This record gives sequence, C-alpha cells and structure tokens, in this order.
Amino acid sequence: MIFTGLLVGGVLGLVLQRGRFCITGAFRDLWVSGSWRWMTAFLLAVAVQAVGVTLLTATGAITPEVPTLSVVATAVGSLLFGVGIVLAGGCATGTYYRAGEGLVGSWFALIAYAVTAAVSKTGVLAPVTTWVKGLWPTQLTTIPAAFGLPDWVGVLVLVAGVAGLVRWQLRLAADRPVPLQLAAQRTGLNHLLFERAWNPLVTGVLVGLVAIVAWPASWATGRHDGLGITTPSSNLVGWLVTGDADRLDWGVMLVLGILLGSHLSARASGEFRVRVPSATVIRRSIAGGLLMGVGAAWAGGCSIGNALVQTSLLSWQGWTALVFQVLGVGITAYFTLIRPRNQRRAAREAASSPSGRANGTRAASPVAAR
Amino acid sequence: MRTVLETEGLVCPFPVMEAEEAMADLEIGDELVIAFDCTQGTQSLPAWAADNGYTVTEFAKTGEASWSITVRK
Repeated sequence: MIFTGLLVGGVLGLVLQRGRFCITGAFRDLWVSGSWRWMTAFLLAVAVQAVGVTLLTATGAITPEVPTLSVVATAVGSLLFGVGIVLAGGCATGTYYRAGEGLVGSWFALIAYAVTAAVSKTGVLAPVTTWVKGLWPTQLTTIPAAFGLPDWVGVLVLVAGVAGLVRWQLRLAADRPVPLQLAAQRTGLNHLLFERAWNPLVTGVLVGLVAIVAWPASWATGRHDGLGITTPSSNLVGWLVTGDADRLDWGVMLVLGILLGSHLSARASGEFRVRVPSATVIRRSIAGGLLMGVGAAWAGGCSIGNALVQTSLLSWQGWTALVFQVLGVGITAYFTLIRPRNQRRAAREAASSPSGRANGTRAASPVAAR
Repeated sequence: MRTVLETEGLVCPFPVMEAEEAMADLEIGDELVIAFDCTQGTQSLPAWAADNGYTVTEFAKTGEASWSITVRK
C-alpha cells in the first residue's frame, strides 16, 4: 500500500514541474518585486487543503493531531530554513523537482538537505534538536482553539481571506495579461499536460487537491500525516545507510515519487537537461541545503510540512513557521539580491549625472530615457 | 536596436534581474532578446514583461530546456 505514495508523489512532481510551483519564489517575490502572484497561488493551495482536511476529519476518515508549538525551535529553525532556501535556489519540493529537471546545483542542495535533516533528527545532532525544542515549549495547538473557537471558524476566515487575495490577483491579471503561451506543436492531453503553460492559480488548486489526497492515502498505510518532505528525506537517508526497512514508509515513497514524476514530466515536455552551475552556485547550494536540513528539523517541518500542511490545520506551529520562513527569505533576498540591485541603480544614476558624463564613464542617454 | 542577453546557466530570479539591468540601458522601442534555460523563466520572464508594461514580440522554445523571449521596451 505504501506504493500509493509513489503515485501521489509522481503526480505532485508533475504538477510542481509543469506548473513551475516555487515556494521560494513566492516568498522572495514579496520582497524583491512586491508581487503577490505566487504567494496567492500558495495560500490558495493551503485554503483548498484546509477545506478538504476539515471535510475528511468531519467524516471520520482521518483524525489529524496538531503538534504543540515550541516557540524558539519553530521560529529560529524556520528563519534558518528561509535563509537556506534562497541560497539553495529552491525550497524542499523545489529542490526535488529541479533535481528531476537536471539542475546539478539542486542535486547538491538535495543531498546536503537530506543528510543534514537525518543528522539533526536521528543522528549525532539529535540532542541539539531536542534541546532547542525544549527551550520555550507551549501547549498551543490550533489558532482557533486558543480563542475557544471550533477549527471550522478558522477555515472560514482563511477561505475568505484567500478569496480576497485571489480576486485582487485576478483583477491585476486582467489589467496586464501575461503573454505566457508558446506556439503549440502538440495536441490534446499531450498539449495540456506537457506543453501549455499553466496558470499559477490553477497550479495552486492542483497542489491543494494533491495535498488532500495525500491524507487518506498516507493514513491507510499507518502514517498519520499528510504531505511531508523533511522527515521522509531523513528516513530515506536512514534506510539507505542502515538497511532498516521500517523507515521505508509512505513518506519515503512520496519524495521518491516527486523526483521520478518531475523527471518524467521534464523529459516528456523536452525540459530535461543536465545543467552544471558555477562553483559559486554549487557552494551556495550546499550551504543552503545544510541550513534547510537543520532548520526544518528544529522547526518540525519545512515549506511543505509546516508552511503548506500545518497551516491548513490552522496550527500555531504552521503559521509561526510560515512567518519566519518568509522573514528568513526576506533577509537573505535583501543581502543577495535587493542591496546589490540598489547599488547598481545608484552607480548607474551617478554615471548619468553631469559629473559622471564629464568623466565619460558611461553613456547617459539610455538611463535618461527611463 | 536589438540586444541579445545570454542567461543560460542562471536560475531564477537571476535571468529576470539580468534582464532588468539590460533593459535599463535600452531606449524606448529597443528590443531585448533573452536566451534562458531556467524552466521557471518561462513563467517569470513573461510575467516580468507584463508587470513592467513591455511587449513580448517573440517567445520560442529553442531546444531541450532552452528558450528565447524578445521584449520591447
């Protein structure tokens, strides 16, 4: 039965790869370009999943347990994770699907992430993880529960908020349509799945639907959880190095499925090529992967386990993690992208000023035309 | 005028940031041809053009995981 994990993972890999669903990009765009296009798609996936999980829980198909919030571990771990995903150029699932597309930088990030997650969860650094988790423990589970409200009230608020965001993005999209489509060379399902550009909001809904299906599929195998990447990656490493078949669960099948699904999808759409980056990018990818592994182990989840799944359960851990991941992404984006860009802009303006022109350092007219 | 920008080997968001830099040096009406191999760029580059009010005059797949997009300022 754990093979349904391979199937769900395969479909998720296809959706992520073809939909270009990048959580790092969604968080980073907020800071770099002020765009909510992908953040809206991401929150739409959370909202869709929240509705599905509420219905599944109401029918008794699943009974999700929400972990209690450990403040320091979740906040600091998620901040480190946020820094890591910018350096690695992709979050947990982003790294898996880019690895499937043949990006060698993501291969390095993935290995560093999986090994460090295993080291921090069950290896020599496990005592450190336990210590951090014990620093500021709380009894907080879901946000509605803290206010004495039933969880479905929180789901309604979430759905209403996301509906507002979607409306706003649809209006923006109508004002400035994105010319996404390449000339069609294929027909039918082949065109729809492997050629046509996917709309971010449609991709978000599909990710949410896959996340819903993951719950009962995983539950049926005795793994009482939804989508997850960090613990499964850690278990994959554990199984590989110990041969202990107990670790080979639905979650491990899921992450292998994502890798396989994104690879086959990239092949089918002519988007697979082994791409070797520069030494700088490889170094950054490894550093990013290391931070991702430690951070996710401390926080009790990554961009999927916490930011996508725990948020849909309205848990304090999930939403705290989301906020600190976005902050970590913002801090790193400032130093690696925003500040260098501002410096280049300032240099360009200085070069086009009268004194710069007199020195003949740079042609002024293109800048003046802006 | 047509300027060609090669961004192969760069992953997002760098193709977009390089394009932004190159665009700053162009005159209104000039075209920028951006060659890229970051899959995500097929989404982010047209979106960047739309957000900035630039016209996409050409958008083509040039090979396995290779694309070219032409944007007019």
